[in-house]
Amino acid sequence: MNEVPPRHRLRSVATTLAVALTLTLAAAAGCDNRREPSLPSVLDKLRESHVDGQPRIKIGVATTEPLMGELRNGAHTGFDVEIARYIASSLGFEGDQRIEWVTLSTEDRIPALQAGTVDLVVSSFSITEERKKLVSFAGPYFVTTQEVMVPTRLKDRIRTIEDLREPGYRICTSGGSTTEAELEKHQVKAYVVKDVGDCVEGIRKGRFDAVSSDETILAGFLSRYPTEFEIVDMPFGTSEQLGIGVPIGDPALRDLVAFFLHKSYLEGRNGISSPWLSAYNRTLGPWLKGGRSQPQPLDVPKLVDFDDKAPRR
Amino acid sequence: MSAPAATVPDPAGPVPPLPPGADKAERRARASQSFWTAVVGVPAVFSVLRLGVEAGGELQTTLLLVANVGTVNLLAGFLTTAAQLLSAGLVAVFALGAVLRISVDRMPPGVRRPLFVRWVDTTPAWFAVASFLLALVTWPLLYLPLLVPAFVAAFQLSPERLHEQVVPRALLLGAGFTGYLWLLAPTLLDAWQQRELLAMVLLVVPPVLALFVTGPLPAAVIRPLASVTEAAVLATLVWAALPVISTPVLPLTVTTIESAPGVSEDIRGHVVTVDDVNVVLLQERGGVRYVPVDQVRAQVLCPSEEELPRRQLRIRDFHVEDSLLEGLGRRVRPVHRIDAACRTVDRGPV
Repeated sequence: MNEVPPRHRLRSVATTLAVALTLTLAAAAGCDNRREPSLPSVLDKLRESHVDGQPRIKIGVATTEPLMGELRNGAHTGFDVEIARYIASSLGFEGDQRIEWVTLSTEDRIPALQAGTVDLVVSSFSITEERKKLVSFAGPYFVTTQEVMVPTRLKDRIRTIEDLREPGYRICTSGGSTTEAELEKHQVKAYVVKDVGDCVEGIRKGRFDAVSSDETILAGFLSRYPTEFEIVDMPFGTSEQLGIGVPIGDPALRDLVAFFLHKSYLEGRNGISSPWLSAYNRTLGPWLKGGRSQPQPLDVPKLVDFDDKAPRR
Repeated sequence: MSAPAATVPDPAGPVPPLPPGADKAERRARASQSFWTAVVGVPAVFSVLRLGVEAGGELQTTLLLVANVGTVNLLAGFLTTAAQLLSAGLVAVFALGAVLRISVDRMPPGVRRPLFVRWVDTTPAWFAVASFLLALVTWPLLYLPLLVPAFVAAFQLSPERLHEQVVPRALLLGAGFTGYLWLLAPTLLDAWQQRELLAMVLLVVPPVLALFVTGPLPAAVIRPLASVTEAAVLATLVWAALPVISTPVLPLTVTTIESAPGVSEDIRGHVVTVDDVNVVLLQERGGVRYVPVDQVRAQVLCPSEEELPRRQLRIRDFHVEDSLLEGLGRRVRPVHRIDAACRTVDRGPV
């Protein structure tokens, strides 16, 4: 018998081990290739959500807030409406024939979500802790502040919160809004009406002297009556985060909306024109002071989508 | 001269008593025949089987597909979806065959050569190189490192061939590994953070194994390894073939039709054929629809769920589950928007 030198024996053992390990790794790779994705996909979430299989998605919007949500010549326009269209098309409801627009007043937004009258609310809906107990929010998709709009004739007389407290001035706001609570906190007595549009009409007819609301809504009315009004910057001290309202019982839909808002946010951050930026430039952009960018949405779930493999740079 | 027993071979039986030259030539011819039969026959059989699966098992639908899907389209479609599997099978055969061959060559003559060795004996080198090239461009990047030990084994490229002296050889290998790790460093860090241990092992370990994979195996290992790997490769091919057979031959689309004014419907399925009168759709949920051409309002191409990535890892911005070809393709057409219609499921008229 030939004696095998120890060096050769060691070498052949190493070869055996290497071959065995390579085969094991190949088998592991083969099994791994058949593995299900560990993260849920957009389609999984869509199937979980209550909008799956619906012929149309019902979206609650305002119709009396210029630049945000307005019904003009039978067509819905505005920043909120554009955002709603983007979300709807991302969820598979492309085009207005797949969207059922539901007109909501400020105070009807929460009841409509609770009653199932709408699937989503995109209507200058501020995210607050109180509201979070009743509905879910995805966003924010815009950060706004509370401002006051006065007729041009009063622009030199109403400049501060103290001026608003003067009994001679009649301040107006919309019911069920965060502004109503904020004015109360600053001891400003306000007339509460259904919509901000009613306040603006009221001022034009001499029934009120100032209107307080989100700067986005006020910018809309300013765009409609640019010579009659002026927005006064007042230090209310709080910023409002606008979010998309979702029924509290449908976390999958909330996750999807947050995911698509985040997708738009990432596109904008990468310097690509995003759906948010297009919506902003077409509506609010020319009327708000200072350039804005989309705020980063919060609580965004990690979901797998088909374009995840696309190059990032 | 040939004995009748040789024309009716029994692969498992004892070697028939034949003159050495005739026996060898006969064996070579048989091995070559079986190899090429497998290489050509398997794709052909698969392609036809796929049509049956695609048709949902319905005879008439299968016949409709057979009538409308051309041979060239079928073969091209098969190669597109099964090139990975095909090249994996070939690479496995060449790598294992070469390792077994060098081991068998050092054994006493008369030992029966394993099947893979006979295949390797009869296959031209260019075919082996072509198989590796096919694997290089079609395998997901994550599995590409496995190609290194496979290539080294198939062509028995021991480290000694780099340089005859130890120090320059070690330096060359060290430089090679350093470069490799530099390329992969961000990916490995990501994989560590995501606790993707298998991904880390698959990226790092195979090139190290390549250093030891050449050379003969101990005699005791050869026979069991040959039998086990032959069975394993066959079983893996069958197991991996099932998803390939069920991969669609035709592209997935969503067709929006308007059957009456204001009543639209999305049909998710594959377009079999279009003529002047009808669009013939094989619906994803089953069944064939003949839709009048004038009712079609829109049609979009959709990805299928099998294309969803399983990992969130990239190598220098190339997704680890993309092949080199796919990765390069994404650079040519970087923006890929999923059409909204693809998110919808089949639903009745709206």
